[in-house]
Parts: sequence; structure tokens; C-alpha cells
Amino acid sequence: MTVSAAPTQATVKSETARAPVRKNRFWSWLIFVVGALYFLVPLAATFYWSLRAEKDKFGFEAYRRLFADTNFLPSFSESIVNAIAAILISLLIIVPTAYWVTLRLPKLRPVIEFITLLPFVIPAVVLVFGLIRLYSRPPLLLTATYDSSRILLVCVYAALSFPYMFRAVDNGLRAMDVRTLTEAAQSLGASWPTILFRVIFPNLRVALLSGALLTFAIVIGELTIALFMAQHTLGPYMANLTRSKVYEPSAMAIVAFAITWAAMGIIQLIGRGQQGQIAGGH
Amino acid sequence: MAYLTLSNISKQFGDTYAVQDFNLDVEKGEFVSFLGPSGCGKTTTLRMIAGFETPTDGAIALGGADITNKPPNQRKMGMIFQSYALFPNMTVAQNIGFGLRVRKDSKADIQERVREMISLVNLEKHAEKYPYQLSGGQQQRVSLARALAIRPDVLLLDEPLSALDAKIRVSLRAQIREIQRKLGITAIFVTHDQEEALSISDRIVVMYDGNVEQVGTPFEIYNFPTTTFVANFVGSLNTAVAEVTDPAKGLLSVNGVQFSSAAKMDGLQKGDNVRIAIRPERFSFASEVRKANVVDCRIENITFLGSVVRVHMLIGNSSFTMDTFNYPSLELPRIGATEQVTCSREAVLLLEEVRANGHEPKL
Amino acid sequence: MKSSISSSSPLANPAVRGARRPSRFKFGYWLGVLPFFVFSALLLIAPTVILGYRSLEGPDGGLTLDNYRQLTSEAVLSAYGMSIRISLTSAVLGGLVGFLIAWAISIGGLPRPLRTITSTFSGVASNFAGVPLAAAYVFTLGRVGVVTALFELLGIDLYRSGFSLYSFTGLTLVYMYFQIPLMVLVILPAIDGLKREWREAAENLGATSTQYWRDVALPVLMPSILGTMILLFGNAFGAHATAYALTGGLFNLATLLIGQQISGDVLHNPGLGYAVAMGMVIIMALSILIYSVLQRRSERWLR
Repeated sequence: MTVSAAPTQATVKSETARAPVRKNRFWSWLIFVVGALYFLVPLAATFYWSLRAEKDKFGFEAYRRLFADTNFLPSFSESIVNAIAAILISLLIIVPTAYWVTLRLPKLRPVIEFITLLPFVIPAVVLVFGLIRLYSRPPLLLTATYDSSRILLVCVYAALSFPYMFRAVDNGLRAMDVRTLTEAAQSLGASWPTILFRVIFPNLRVALLSGALLTFAIVIGELTIALFMAQHTLGPYMANLTRSKVYEPSAMAIVAFAITWAAMGIIQLIGRGQQGQIAGGH
Repeated sequence: MAYLTLSNISKQFGDTYAVQDFNLDVEKGEFVSFLGPSGCGKTTTLRMIAGFETPTDGAIALGGADITNKPPNQRKMGMIFQSYALFPNMTVAQNIGFGLRVRKDSKADIQERVREMISLVNLEKHAEKYPYQLSGGQQQRVSLARALAIRPDVLLLDEPLSALDAKIRVSLRAQIREIQRKLGITAIFVTHDQEEALSISDRIVVMYDGNVEQVGTPFEIYNFPTTTFVANFVGSLNTAVAEVTDPAKGLLSVNGVQFSSAAKMDGLQKGDNVRIAIRPERFSFASEVRKANVVDCRIENITFLGSVVRVHMLIGNSSFTMDTFNYPSLELPRIGATEQVTCSREAVLLLEEVRANGHEPKL
Repeated sequence: MKSSISSSSPLANPAVRGARRPSRFKFGYWLGVLPFFVFSALLLIAPTVILGYRSLEGPDGGLTLDNYRQLTSEAVLSAYGMSIRISLTSAVLGGLVGFLIAWAISIGGLPRPLRTITSTFSGVASNFAGVPLAAAYVFTLGRVGVVTALFELLGIDLYRSGFSLYSFTGLTLVYMYFQIPLMVLVILPAIDGLKREWREAAENLGATSTQYWRDVALPVLMPSILGTMILLFGNAFGAHATAYALTGGLFNLATLLIGQQISGDVLHNPGLGYAVAMGMVIIMALSILIYSVLQRRSERWLR
């Protein structure tokens, strides 16, 4: 029987009692507007520049040039393929792990949570330092060719996504009471593949998609690791672009921002605030 | 003049009334319960007394002074919440002393008062513990001590026992009542549990759908409910539509079975339809001869409830239940058997009229 | 994996179970999590361990702490110093601003949709880092940036008056762009955890709004606020891409120093390079540890 008072319904009589709230709201608005300005001005400035590629006129010339650049689409598509591969590997590893830990090995949970914290503890530049030292000489020579380096990069991305993926899947499993569902399915005679694909996955759709999109947003423009592994992906391409071109980088920043927005927007839409995320890897 | 007066209080949220035209006088030292199902407006009324909600209409007065628009932090009303609402960052002692600290009492005074309150609720061993280290019952006792520490004019309790286990609920209930008596403090207690309200209160206000259904002592509320809602909500009850056959003698007929009632039937006429109510425990097997209300019944079913045996029976064509005490030598009738049961004239209550033949009966 | 299932609750008594069944079943259990451990070991743990091992190796082999002693050399110390200054400033300022924004959109009385928009935007902005962020700031506050130009119209030459995007101030300002939203995301649930009853109980006991915030709300939130600020510190401390994109990798920052060390031994001592990297890991680990300790404490309160 809790009745929450909507402040807008305050009557004339209650003005005195509501006075402090009104004062607070002034500060709230002030903070919000100043904050919004801080975040929108750089975007607006970048957008402004991206429209100024042609002299004395606004237009989308910078975007046209960006997409016409012979290196842009190849590096973009390579990054997309890398991201998707990393997401698939991550899913293949994390879903059974999270499921198993929830159902069979709860004692392992602290260990796994600790390991999924490692990407936050090891800065990307340190990680790539160690990877190069470890895998650039026999017996573990993986950086010899471009393609073997690329495989290593994708695997590293998958590992970096563990924190987001594990948290998303774990939350999803907790929300659906995986134990009861599994036992119910078993008691009805379902086999393991049936349980996994007909019961668990459909209920985890939102969690899996959130984890995947978050991974995508982080991996797609990743610079540090790709740079030191000499990969021709979007991150190094963009870094190079900012040094060599004037207007294209602004168009590129807007496109990158739009991609991040799309990923986050979809997460918000499908999950309605389910994600508990920590960013990392800047 | 009553100590706490609520006159014509209403509270509207949007288009709906949470509370409508609520009137109540509470005497100093009285223990009053607001009883009703969730959504009936009892908590909203309590929150208006505390100052967390402002009435859309009406006035609240305390000790003769109008407090309708006084901010909650100037009202000196101790409130106990269902969720305890203890400050998690403070120890038991700090929680209890909070109200004294914010009004800047001297350190010595605070210490003294806190010690007094801690011993009042028997938490001497836990004074330096944090809320998360205490059980629910202990937390609610801290909450009680914290509210009482400021010597409030009125103690407000918002379903304080609902989150607790059944056993603790009963013992804490008794403790609250004992402390309230000892301090002579005026208390308002909100609950949806009728047993709680009946056992603890001087008076009960039964509420339903934003309206006051009945105000009375637990005895009156239980034995003389005036509306169908009260009768049904407080205790279990048999109700049936009856036709008035002789208003002067108090005779009624339920599907042709005659009942005699001690209720006043002023304004009722022969042929009026009324609703009668009989509590299950007021029936008994007619082993001894009584003057009134010996009726035939068919035993439909018997349910064993421990200390009580509940007999489901048909009287006329209406279903009734009878509760009878269980004792080892009790001889239960066969299911399907026809027996005689009896109840006193006083047990037959009149609720409101169902259909009056052109008359406005007043009850 | 048919081996591992019996329809009764298999976890009810692991001790009895383990005693009765052969160890093959346990192995089946572990098979589900094995890929995770192998992957983590090869890609996260082994690279760190090898850096740690190398950092303890002397120039002629053998274990030594010499490399760590050299961390106090000027080149390293100044890079660490700048990293710590930027991280600390951006964490404290970003934390404060983020907290205020989170407060405004949650209990500050702003319309509900603003909260949804802000938290989604925070998800975006906290991940909008690296090259695009650096580029956006170049177009805003670089020498020809829009805001720089606006200040010129007002007669203020930002770069003449000592401002530079490629400095401590500039980098801090840029970092705040992902620090503030991260604070908002992490602190919002904590603010939501403040129970309405606490405020009401405080008011009821005679407290003013200020007293409530000073004695109840802020102390309750403090572990979360401090913990998240420490998280922000680590977030900035390990950041490489944004600084690299902004300064071309030539700024004096710990992460950039490691980058230079990877490309070519700028410290003229490989062992020292490993020690610098391990030093970062240690600082990051400490900050995450303090964060989780404080977070646990606040969860206990906000339960």
C-alpha cells in the first residue's frame, strides 16, 4: 500500500511542504544542462567540421571521401569479421562456463569472477606487450604471419570480452532460475542438447545479445592491441587517418559514435536496463 | 477536545481518492488501529498524520493546534516502518540517538536517553552492533526505541510486524503494547491483519476503499459488525439473505427456516429483505433445549482444524459453517446425517438491507 | 555429457556423491569450464606471468629486483607521475560530476525520460573512447577547434593563455568524457539503493534535508562513491588508445612509455620496460581490489 506521490500533483495547499523539492529541481536542471553541454559540444563541433569539407558550403563530402578511401572499407569489414568471430568464441566459452558454474560448480564462482576481472587489471598495452613477448618466438610462434596474428588478436578480443559476457550471461541465468528450469526439463525427459537449445538459450536471448553488442562496441574500433600486432583493422586505420587527413577524421568520429549508439541503443531496447557494465580498454 | 483530530480528511491521487472524508478523534494515550486490506487508504492516512502526504482536503489537529501543513520534521511523531528503515551506517546506539543529535541535545543527555531506550527494548547486548548484524525482530525493536527516544507526541506504526516471522510477530506485538501502556503514549497502528488489530488496540478503524467502514472497540468490531465488509474481513462469518417476517418480535426467515434475532429492526417491515450474519463459533449442536433458534441441518462435510472442528452444513438451502471446540470425547456426526443446531438470538446479526420493499430501513 | 546427470538434486550432498561415484564424473564436470581456463591462461595469465618473470630477470640472467629499483629513475617516474596526476584528477572530478548527474536524474526530480536517455548515453559515452574521442576533441579544443574559435571571437586566445589539448589539462578534460558516464552508470544503482524510508525516518525524527544528506545518505553512499572513483582511477591509468591517438604516442605517460618500449627499447633496458609494465598491473590490481572491498561493504548496507 505504498503510494508514491507524483510531485506534479501537489496542490496549492502543499506548496510550503514542497518548497525544498522545487529548489532542488533548479540545481538538478542546472547540473543536467551543464553536463549535457559538456557531452554534446564535442559531438556538435565534430559534426560541424564533418560538413565543412568543401569550401564555403555544408555537405557530406567528408563522408563521401571517407567511404571512397580504398583502405576504409577493407579495414572496417576486417574489424567487423574480427568482432563477430570474437563474439562467437566468447559465447562458446562463456555460456557453458556460466551455466556449469551456476548449476554444478558454484564453488568455482569466485575463481571465475576473479579471472573475468583480469582484463580490467591488465591494461591493454601491457597485455599486448606480454603477448608479443610470449608468442613471437618458438615454441609458441603465432605472430609470424599476418593471419596467425589475426587469429591471436581475435582470441585476445574474446578474452577481453569475458567480463561483459560473463556478467550478462550470469545475470540472465540468475533471472531465469536455471536450476529449476533444468530440473523441470529433466523430469520431463529432455536430453542435454534439448535442454540447452530449447530451454536455456531462448531464455537467455536478451543476455546473450547484450553481451554480444557490448563486445562489438568495444572491439570494433580497438586500437592498442591491433596497433602493436600490426593489424590493418579499423583502430589503426582511424589513428592513421587523423594524422594524414583533415576532414575525414570528423566524419569517421561521427560514424564511430553512431555505431556505438546503435549497439547501446539496441541493448537498452531489448534489455530495458538489464546490463551492469563496466567499461574498459581505452 | 480530543488529542488528535482528523476532520474530513481526503487525499486524491490524480482522479482517484486514496482516502475520502476521514473523521477520527483519538484520545491521549489511546491505541488505535487502522485495519483494512491493501489499498484501502490506511497507510495514506497514517502518512498524512506523519506529514509525508498533504491532505487534498480537511484538517489535522494535534492538542488543539492545526498541523495539516506542518513539515514532517517539525511534528514530533515517531514513525515505525515495515522495513525498519534503520540507518545502515549507524550502530544501534547511534540510530537511537539520531533524533536527539539532530536537535542538538547535549552529549550527556543523549547518552542517558539512549541507554534508557536500549534497556526499554532489551537490546543492551547489541548497542554497538550495526543493523545488518541484527535479526528482523531486533531491528524493529531498535526502530521502536529510535522513535520513542525523541519523546514523540504520537507513535505511528506502519505495518511494523508484517515482515517478521509469526512467533516474533506475536511476542513483539505484546511488547509494543506493553511499552505503549507504560509510557502512556498515543499510538496509531496500521495493519491488514485482523488478529493483530483485535489483540493490540483500544479502538479499531476498519477501512475499505478509502472509506471508514466502522470505528469501535475490538469487542464491538468483532461482535457487532455493522457492514458486510467488516463482518467478512474481521473473523469468518456465515451470511445469508433473510426475509423479515415479524419486525416486532425480531423474526426472520432464511429459505423458510425461521431465525430469531435480538438486533433492532426499527423501520423494517414485514417482507423486507435483509442480510444476516452468524459467526461459526456461535452455533452449537442442540443437545440442550433452548428457547430460540433450534434449526435442522444436514451435515455436508467436517474439517479438522486442530483446536477447532469446522462443520459445513446446509440449513434450508443455504450453506453455513459451525466451529466447535475439539475435545477428546467429542462425538462428531456422520456426513449426510441430519442434526439440530442452535444459536442465541444475539448471535444473529443484521448487516445492511439487500432489498427493501419501498422502504428505507435504518439500522 | 550424459554421465553427469541424475534427476534427483545432484548437488544436495557433494561429499557423499564424491565418495560414491568414480572420479570420471568429476572430470566431466570440469570439462564444461575447461575451455574457459585454458583460454584465460593462454591469453590473460601467461602474458602477464611472462612479463612478471622477465621483470625479475637481470641482464645476465638470475633473479633480481634491480629493475624495480630503477623505477625511480627520472624517465619512469615522470611518466608514472603524469599518469597518476591525470588519472587522479579525472577520477575525482569525473566522479564528482558523475555523481551530481546521477543524483539529478534519479532523485533530483527531473522528468523520468531524462534518466533513460542519460543512462543510455552514458553507456555510449563510456565506450566512446580511443581514436574517435581524440578526434572529436581535436575538432573541439584543438588549435582550429570550434570552441577554440568561439573563444577567439570573444577575444580569448586559449592556446596563448597556456591551454593545450596535448597537456595535463587537455588530456584530463578528454578523459572525463568517458569517466563521467562510467561514474553515472556505476553509481546510479547505489543511489537507487537509498531507501525512501531512510529519508522519511530521518525527517520524522526531526532532521532537515541537509542533516539527512550529511548523516545518512552521503555516509551510506560513501563506499560506493570512493570505490567507483578508484575504479575510474584505474580506468584512466590503463588508458592508452585515447592518449596515443591524441598525441601520437609521444606524450610522457606510463602507457605510452610502454608502447614506445614495445616498438623500440627507448629505456635502453628491456628489464626495466617489463618492470614498468608490471608496476602498472600492480597499481591496477590494487585499485580494483580496493574497489571491490568498498563495493562489498556498500552492498551489505544497501541490501
